[in-house]
Amino acid sequence: MRTIGILNFRNAGGNAMRRRLGYLLFLLLAFSFPLGAQIEPIPNLTVQPIPLPGGDIVPPYGLYNQFFPGPPNQIPPFDPMNADPHGITNFRGVTAMGYTSGPAKDNSGNQYTVITDIRVYQGEYIGGETADVVNSAGATRSGRARGTFVEI
Amino acid sequence: MDPSSGTLVQVHDFSPWTLPNGLFWIVKVPDSAVQTSPDGKTLTIHLENVPVVDAFTFPPPVPNNFAPDEVDISPYQLIRARASFDITYKKTANPPRRIRPATDDPLSPLNWAGKMWDATNSGTFSVTYDDGTFSASGSFDSSGNFGEVGTERNGFFVHHEEDDNDDDVAAGAQPLSLPFQPAAMSQLAATAITKEPMKFVLLKGRVPVKVIH
Repeated sequence: MRTIGILNFRNAGGNAMRRRLGYLLFLLLAFSFPLGAQIEPIPNLTVQPIPLPGGDIVPPYGLYNQFFPGPPNQIPPFDPMNADPHGITNFRGVTAMGYTSGPAKDNSGNQYTVITDIRVYQGEYIGGETADVVNSAGATRSGRARGTFVEI
Repeated sequence: MDPSSGTLVQVHDFSPWTLPNGLFWIVKVPDSAVQTSPDGKTLTIHLENVPVVDAFTFPPPVPNNFAPDEVDISPYQLIRARASFDITYKKTANPPRRIRPATDDPLSPLNWAGKMWDATNSGTFSVTYDDGTFSASGSFDSSGNFGEVGTERNGFFVHHEEDDNDDDVAAGAQPLSLPFQPAAMSQLAATAITKEPMKFVLLKGRVPVKVIH
């Protein structure tokens, strides 16, 4: 989104304006780089979150470790309204989710309807951590950790 | 799209992909990426440049040059991309639903406890292929679709909860925010992971669905 703003600045014209906007551009870039590292790869976590054991079975893929709660009598059907919205098990904390739709446009001008289901999980969880790095192949034990996760 | 039916045809499907252990489309973010209002009624997310892949549909298309018994080992075509979005979830004024575990079956969708409020959400997004050949942006809102916000316990915490206060908290009184804990970020690690070959397992459907007039 910030890239779009930068392009607009370049069209403003005028040397003084360009110098000022160049400075703004620098700031935007400077603040953009750390944001590129927002995601902490889950395989690198000391305590690995465990996926929900259940979920929906969708052929031909098989089991997805997640439910899709929603109102009854929909086509295609949702899971029950009170189905667990979480994707991680042994979790205690805040959950937010919701289905949406809206307009979108691509770089060629094509129009789309965007459909989202983005969820937030923030809190404490019990996952797997390596019990003995030296004398095992990586065998786990239960470990506690806190974290914020987003399902996209 | 089938013009006669007016139905939508999915043409893109962006997600962080499923981890080898089955963790479904989930990324870990800094706590600061999620903010909660002081009254606990509003929760916002701001993320930029999240590594995702485009699998085109959900379930992703199985390559047509593989035998049926090769489905589970077939590589799927994935295009690397980056997604950014801002979303705001808002609790509605409806009273919360108090969820009690209805079963001990660990695979059941009803084996959890919590206090959930119906919620609306809206936001904006942008997504760009890493090679720059495709990008899109737009906005979305729940507009009557299902959504919820609240606190929950599942797995171990369902039956080993030391302090079960779910029913003791007045609606809207419990702030959603957790104590801030700096995330142990590793830019090198993040860079390394994005350069690994895209293989892994599967996902589910959404962003964006093309509308043909």
